[in-house]
Amino acid sequence: MINKGVGLCFLGCLVLLTGCNDQRILEETGFIQSASYDELTNNRIVYGISIPIANPEIKATRAFLMTDAMSSKQARTHLSRQTNLQLVSGQLRVALFGLPLAKKGIWRIMDTLIRDPTISEKIKIIIVNGEAAGLLKKNFKEFPRTGQYIDRLIKKEAIRHSTPLTTLYSFSRDYYDDGIDPVVPIIKDTGKTISLDGIALFQDDTYKGKINPEEAVVFAILRGNFKQGEVSLALPKQSQDTTVMLSSLNSSRKVNVKYEDDGNIRINIQIQATATVSEYIGELKLSNDAERREIERVISDQITEQAERILKTLQRFSTDSLGLGTYVRNSMTFAEWQKLNWHDQYPNVNIECRIKLRIKDYGFRR
Amino acid sequence: MNDKLSHFHVTILIYITQTGAVIITLPRLLAEHFGTNGWLSLLFVYMVVSVNLLLITAVYRLGKGKSIFEIMERSISKIILYPFYLAIASLWAMLGCLAAKQYVLIFQMIAFPTTNPMIFKLLIDILAFILIIKNVYKIAKAATVFFWMIVWMILLLFYFYGDFEWSRLTPFVFQDSAITLNSFFSIYLAFLGYEVCLLLFPYVDKRTKLMKAVQISNLMLTFTYVYLSIIAYGFYGYKHLKTLEYPLLNMFAYIQFPFVQGTENLLFGFLLFSIIITIVMYWWGAKEISVQILPLKGRVLAFIILFISFCISYIPKSINDTERWLSILGYAEIGLSFGLPIGLILLLLIQRMRGEAR
Amino acid sequence: MRFFKRIMKTIFMKTIVSAASAQKAKVKPEIPTLTHILSEFNDCVDLVHRYYPEVNVHLVYFDHQVDHDKLYREVMNPLIHVHAEEEVPKLLEQSQFTLVRDSKELVEGILSGRVAIFSNSKTYLVDVFGLQSRSVSQSESETVITGPHDAFTEQAGINLSLIRQRIKSSHLKVIKLSVGEVTKTDVYILYIKDIANMTYVNEAIRRISNIEIDAVFDTNMLLQFIDDAPFSIFPQFLTSERPEAIASKLVAGRIVGIVDGSPSALSAPTSFFEYFSSSDDYNQRWMLGSASRLLRFLALFITLSFTSLYVSVTTFHYEMIPENLLITLTESRSKVPFPPLFEALFMEVTIELLREAGARLPSKIGQTIGIVGGIVIGQAAVQAGLTSNILIIAVASSAIASFVTPAYVMSASIRFLRFGLIILAGVWGNFGLAVGISAIVIHLSGLTSLGSSYLTPIAPFKPRDWKDVFIIAPFKYITERPSQSKSPNTVKNKMRK
Repeated sequence: MINKGVGLCFLGCLVLLTGCNDQRILEETGFIQSASYDELTNNRIVYGISIPIANPEIKATRAFLMTDAMSSKQARTHLSRQTNLQLVSGQLRVALFGLPLAKKGIWRIMDTLIRDPTISEKIKIIIVNGEAAGLLKKNFKEFPRTGQYIDRLIKKEAIRHSTPLTTLYSFSRDYYDDGIDPVVPIIKDTGKTISLDGIALFQDDTYKGKINPEEAVVFAILRGNFKQGEVSLALPKQSQDTTVMLSSLNSSRKVNVKYEDDGNIRINIQIQATATVSEYIGELKLSNDAERREIERVISDQITEQAERILKTLQRFSTDSLGLGTYVRNSMTFAEWQKLNWHDQYPNVNIECRIKLRIKDYGFRR
Repeated sequence: MNDKLSHFHVTILIYITQTGAVIITLPRLLAEHFGTNGWLSLLFVYMVVSVNLLLITAVYRLGKGKSIFEIMERSISKIILYPFYLAIASLWAMLGCLAAKQYVLIFQMIAFPTTNPMIFKLLIDILAFILIIKNVYKIAKAATVFFWMIVWMILLLFYFYGDFEWSRLTPFVFQDSAITLNSFFSIYLAFLGYEVCLLLFPYVDKRTKLMKAVQISNLMLTFTYVYLSIIAYGFYGYKHLKTLEYPLLNMFAYIQFPFVQGTENLLFGFLLFSIIITIVMYWWGAKEISVQILPLKGRVLAFIILFISFCISYIPKSINDTERWLSILGYAEIGLSFGLPIGLILLLLIQRMRGEAR
Repeated sequence: MRFFKRIMKTIFMKTIVSAASAQKAKVKPEIPTLTHILSEFNDCVDLVHRYYPEVNVHLVYFDHQVDHDKLYREVMNPLIHVHAEEEVPKLLEQSQFTLVRDSKELVEGILSGRVAIFSNSKTYLVDVFGLQSRSVSQSESETVITGPHDAFTEQAGINLSLIRQRIKSSHLKVIKLSVGEVTKTDVYILYIKDIANMTYVNEAIRRISNIEIDAVFDTNMLLQFIDDAPFSIFPQFLTSERPEAIASKLVAGRIVGIVDGSPSALSAPTSFFEYFSSSDDYNQRWMLGSASRLLRFLALFITLSFTSLYVSVTTFHYEMIPENLLITLTESRSKVPFPPLFEALFMEVTIELLREAGARLPSKIGQTIGIVGGIVIGQAAVQAGLTSNILIIAVASSAIASFVTPAYVMSASIRFLRFGLIILAGVWGNFGLAVGISAIVIHLSGLTSLGSSYLTPIAPFKPRDWKDVFIIAPFKYITERPSQSKSPNTVKNKMRK
């Protein structure tokens, strides 16, 4: 008898609910796959979105819409007047920021991204060297839809550590953490293709400078434990033009914080790395223990030198992208840390870096 | 055949009752109130709860397993007791109903933002009603099944190991925070639910080891909370945690599988299994107490209680309202969970003294 | 309405009165006479009445109920060799002839295929029952790959012997009950003494003897009269056509019921999880058995959730779709004119129609149905834009998954529940799904089978049972009988008397 009553109640509820407008039926919905943000004068932003179109009757594979407004949500209401689809942001994968905007700070826009419960924490944050909307608008004939193209490009490059994979989560996490600053991949339009333009260094939410793609792997080694990378080095100290290509590069980082007698902070970064030699053009024999040690030493010196150059750059920009502040913080009391203004101190800190590389194996050739 | 609850069932029942919607805000509450490494405060609260449980154990021992109504009615006249009963019953009815409302309102942030929340509330109430009219043994059985249906979610925390860093926890303890008594209370709310075991006395026997079961469930709960909070601290860092309204939902959203993404609404939907038992146990408690006043059929009483609380739950409209109501009621509940056992112990001691005097 | 009630009441009163008068008659047995019997069976053309004038003996029996060879051997041949009327009483002292003093008993005897012998004002019955029945053959509805292939038939005697063959123990007890005011169907309750719990046996006997109905034709019909919760969608007694499965239930301490005229036997108490085990599991290596059992639980999950998740995701929770699937899914949905809920219900109903048609048709035509339904309708529906192809996959896989459940009654219940979940998902998305699943769990936790919990071994929590429920441990580790049967002898390899 009760079951009958319950059944009736359920039926009643069903009747009550007809005409509910919370439905997001797939084909009536426009999924914003990527969004771009550019700066305009007096605090207005240019907001562009790319929507994949899956209707076989429409030739185009995606739609690009653009408008300018005070905020991105306001812009969205503008845009939704232009389309037959209900715009939703639950499938957003890529957020592109123009470089001029990044230089002024992007946190203002991040607020909507974080606040919106439908937006995934895993969307990729990317800086465009130039105008973001322009890049997103452009179709690259030989590649997938531009948004997807960028998404896959970054995802693939991140596996090889040519760039960090910065998501909304990791950006805001590093933004809030006072011991580390966020880094973001930066891309640019190179005519027929899009290419990676290095790593953008942020201080809090403002762009300060970038690291070239060639240095990206060494930067990644410095940044933390590292697996599966490739680096090609020219070894100038050898007699002839010697180059070596290292692959399957694994490394682990150790950071020590010491205080000198005068109270200055000294940070020591120790990195242990192993790698496979996949190419070696030179005179030494890798199978010979002594000669291999020699090569290892040379390579280590070479990488250390690069690393030191990167550290100098970071200190010049005053961006603690490596998270050294965390180690400093964890080595002192809370009150001391509060007193210490890390961003002011950082450029003057004495950072030492030592990389030790071991060759694990060297292929089929002796 | 199965008149008495078994040890395992009580453990699970209390554990599920204790786990409520608070779990999704817990890491933030900890970061907000206790700052760095706030999860340590859970251990303090755990100890306080254990002390509270010891008090209840004392009631159980002294009363030799008699139901609390029997103990009270023996020496206090019904005229005094009835308003007291009524107060407890309405407190529990409101707690259950607001917990349901809170869950619904949070769910509506993720999906169905414009639908009338009371429809969802009604659905939960119907479910709860079907369960309440069954006896407590069957509620425990349902709780056990629900337990297995949500406990695997703890395994999902492995997903965060990749981005977890101990250094983000910082070596500081309770820095960057202003700890007041209020902060402890707000964390304490997450542990509430165990006091329902006061009503379970008539449904258990010696083999159940009731109080041991409740202690175990409290330990399990603390473990769950601590584990979750440590992961949340190491995943977000406490400063970021402070800014997140529902950290657990953000964590859910972070989990992506190749076949399903944006899992938060599915996983949060599963939390209903735990919420429903929490609600049901409060309402069941309210029903048990009301039976003392109004000797009606359980089914009718349950309906009356649900109907009244449903009407009241129309009043709070926003999440903030609901949460404020909940915390006020929660404070009253904390008072009750300490006050009632202490009062009962005194009563029992008096009874014993009188008995010896005679 | 009221008038109708009154009529019903008077009818009931009458039946009660007549039952009471019948009881009174039992107290004073009527002496059976030939004329009485012949008038009782008036207008029964299949009744045979033979008279041997030399010895003054009448035989009365139903022609098609007896085995003629046996009749000749046991009755006619001895009678032919008797030459004088005086020798007849001596002959009838032989043990196959039973003296009957009650007319009612005699009538029942004749009805159940015995021969009534009237001689010298005394009446005897002799059992020469020989019904033509289907021989033991393979089960159609429960097939196994390895293991015995015989199945129960419609005749209780054969079924009993199939079980006795497998359990050669004097402890196997059989109680006979009769159900049905008109049909007087024989129902046998089987249990193994010292293994089965007598509370269950007595409870089953009590429930069966309390049935008030004119006719019972099948086990599945009978057990609806003795269900704990008649309103529930779930079966509360396990039925099986396989003698070895039923024998294993007996040994596990459960009780078994056999209904004459039905090829399936029932077993109780049972739990929800028992419906997902098949005898095949035990005949394979334990790992494979465990794997296929886990597969069935996965299938349960798929059946319940696939289509409803599709509906929920495409209607409300687009953000759950992985990027790679999004375009394909949207594309396949773009031509469909209905909301996902109706699309899914349409396909589900089609599948159910196909299943029903397949079940009603002879197996050769059934295959055609499969091809027409599966390929033609499926393909055409997608091309016509009535459904999306992803939905077809979801519906088809959940339909297939539902057939994985070995017990047909259970798989039918689950398939029925699926519709509820689809509607809930279509109206309230994942919330509806969670509510639906909760409702099922709450309902299940309230169910009992012969008074014992339907969710054993999850609730009550009996982890010891799990090794024979969710997986199958190697046999040497399954040392105890399932806790649900509450056997006085829980340990399997030692019998305590």
